[in-house]
Amino acid sequence: MLLPTTVVGSWPVPEWLERLKTDHHRGRISRTQLDDVHETAIKAALKDQELAGVDIVSDGELRRDNDVDHFLARMPGVVLPLPVKEFYYDYHTVTLPAPLPPVDGPTLGLADDFAFTRAHTDRPIKFSFTGPFSLAQRVVEHPYADRAELVVAIAAVLHAEAVALAARGATHLQIDEPYLAGHPQAIAEAVAAVNVVVEGVAVRWGLHVCYGNRYARPSWEGHYDFLFPAVLDARVDELVLEFGRKGDEDLPVLAHGGWDRDVGLGVIDVKDPDVESPQTVANRIRRALDLVPAERLVVNPDCGLRNLPAANARAKLAAMVAGAAAVRDTLAAPAPVPDRPAVVAAAG
Amino acid sequence: MLVDFRPHTRLRGLREPVDFGATLGPVVSALTDECADLARVRVVADWVQYRANFRDPVSVRPVVADPGLDADPEDLELALDVRRCHGLGAEELRGLARTAIRGSDHVPLEGWGRTARSCIWDFNALYWQALDLWEQATGRTYEQALPGGESDARNRAGARELINELFAAWDRLAERNALPTELYVVELGVGNGSQARVFLDEFVAADAEHGREYYRRLHYLMCDYSGYVLELARKTVAEHDQHVSSFVLDATSPRTALGFLKYKVFLVYVSNVYDNLPTDEVAQLGGRTYGVQSRACLPRATVDELAAATATTPDRVPALVAKLLRLGPALLAEAAPDHFGGVDDVVAFWQRTWAALRLEERYVPLAGLDLHPVAPGISGESLRPLLEAGADVRMHVSNGAAASFVDTLTLLHPFGSLVCHDLFVTDVAAYRTRFAGPGKYDGSVVNWVNGTLLAHLGRRRGFDVHFAPFAHRDGTNIVTLTAHVRD
Repeated sequence: MLLPTTVVGSWPVPEWLERLKTDHHRGRISRTQLDDVHETAIKAALKDQELAGVDIVSDGELRRDNDVDHFLARMPGVVLPLPVKEFYYDYHTVTLPAPLPPVDGPTLGLADDFAFTRAHTDRPIKFSFTGPFSLAQRVVEHPYADRAELVVAIAAVLHAEAVALAARGATHLQIDEPYLAGHPQAIAEAVAAVNVVVEGVAVRWGLHVCYGNRYARPSWEGHYDFLFPAVLDARVDELVLEFGRKGDEDLPVLAHGGWDRDVGLGVIDVKDPDVESPQTVANRIRRALDLVPAERLVVNPDCGLRNLPAANARAKLAAMVAGAAAVRDTLAAPAPVPDRPAVVAAAG
Repeated sequence: MLVDFRPHTRLRGLREPVDFGATLGPVVSALTDECADLARVRVVADWVQYRANFRDPVSVRPVVADPGLDADPEDLELALDVRRCHGLGAEELRGLARTAIRGSDHVPLEGWGRTARSCIWDFNALYWQALDLWEQATGRTYEQALPGGESDARNRAGARELINELFAAWDRLAERNALPTELYVVELGVGNGSQARVFLDEFVAADAEHGREYYRRLHYLMCDYSGYVLELARKTVAEHDQHVSSFVLDATSPRTALGFLKYKVFLVYVSNVYDNLPTDEVAQLGGRTYGVQSRACLPRATVDELAAATATTPDRVPALVAKLLRLGPALLAEAAPDHFGGVDDVVAFWQRTWAALRLEERYVPLAGLDLHPVAPGISGESLRPLLEAGADVRMHVSNGAAASFVDTLTLLHPFGSLVCHDLFVTDVAAYRTRFAGPGKYDGSVVNWVNGTLLAHLGRRRGFDVHFAPFAHRDGTNIVTLTAHVRD
């Protein structure tokens, strides 16, 4: 299908869920109860996405306190000097007294997270996780000679997760690098780590790079030209980028930079609760079509939806789906082509 | 009966320690005579430091079980202003308490409602809108009416510190080729322009030393609620007019005028604005959360006096006050020539009314914090961690300050910061030991600002929020709040 619609990952976290998550950190509700709450919320998020007409859905990352702790806090060898949080969304302070132990299979439980989602929807699923470069930026103390070594070590941990995810049936995996835009000089290092993660895992890989969405604010400003040419070496199928908020001035950067793979086109501003009209979405897609052929475009919001009120998120997704459908209807039916193979080789 | 005596420090160590026993005895005696069930009575004693305020020495706040029903007279809080009760005779105190319990002889100017919507804020707005008339009548400027005789904003060392921080941030951005062409600084509540003048003069000097020509790119936006004040400020900074723009705006929603600066402002400077913005109060009492409702009123004797002075009847005085707040002195003088000989008469009526104005209060249970937003887009759930942090507490919601603060944060560049000098309560526990308002400063309303709430709101929006005593003047209650992006 042309112009498939999807999400970047996270789903709105309502106030009541924030309270329960925080209550867990304060010892007021048990892990078992919180897990039950999470599963209920994930099922609701899947249903919401299905009702909005999204083609490729996600679990909304609702089990995760934020984009970092769910991964770092579970890594063997990681120490949290203060394991209690005042507010669930805060980041843990993370230290690593000794090098990460040799990787011997998955340790973060992401495949189980995916399996739960798989069991509760018939739609294709995108499963996203934060990339090694961004995770490494949140480790305040480590024994490695430089942070680049830590990035590679974390990439190895994530690689094991990716292998496990693929083995459990994951077909769309996405690496999120929300810190990369703040460290543009480190793009080559980040790409090398991405390639460690994806090595031999035969799924459709996406790489999401944005300007930050923590607390619904951009963390950095700039342009995507920093990605090139290094990102061309990333063994991923798709770049998932934000254009809804920033405008599409950066779209030519992709063409000039030589990007000839798929583009996840951000058409929904996730930092603004105002709901775009389907017409606005359609216009954004049409402008992108001037530079990227329809068969290489995937339609998605700029970033995760977690900071939006749920009603606004639902309305935005519905507008996105309607806008994409309107454009799709005007496109000539493409000649049938065989399914595109994944870029990387099958897992051994 | 629960007795909550808050100003502990007044009990000893002062030249004339408070003899609370002498105050409490007659009050308890009156309560014993008037109330059947003393177990449902709270006595709360504050030291109301404002010479001009909205309270009687003894007042009663009913606890309303259901906002749709009348108060149960047995469920009440009796509030004492220890400062004014101190020195009153026992019989006088007993009489004041009896009167308060039976119902004070006040004439309401409005119905019960949230304090942030009380007409006291219309008085406050009127003060800023008709400041010139008020100043003419009192013969002094509003800055002279401040406790220290001048605003804390006129401070070269403080300005230089801020400028150095700006230069450091801009240097870092310049190194990464990420310095915007235009560099925005916003001042909310610009007063007479003294702060802006100091800042801009210091900026020019610092820029000359620094050598990066940042002044060329600088846009200083002066914002104030009062057009009159803003005009004064423009004259003060006339030498910098190529770099200064001015906006009349409501500080509670800066984005209505400055929305085009979202994520673009490097410094927002706010001095003594938040304490002058509307606020509600909430209370956590015995495990239940209450909103404090209030209604402005006047003592009947004052109403009689105002009626005589304006050739009307007492029952028409509330309508005349409402008309004053709607029209302002100049228009009211024209619209009501039968009552006023001219603008001066209206201003005298305004000032007499303001001086006598009281706030009656009552507690109404809240059905859920989420149903009582602090401000548009700011859920009342933000109050929960503060209300549930310990023992019973009554605190400000600081609605106007919270709205202004949160709206302002959205203007900040990722490298930007907000600096605010004001009267902040920086620890919820402080609400249990001090009176934090409202009081009257000249013709305006003043409250200490719930800094703990602002810090909480800021942190939930990705900002580090710090408080420090105002560094550039000794002996002031002013606290400096600084917010900048974290992570």
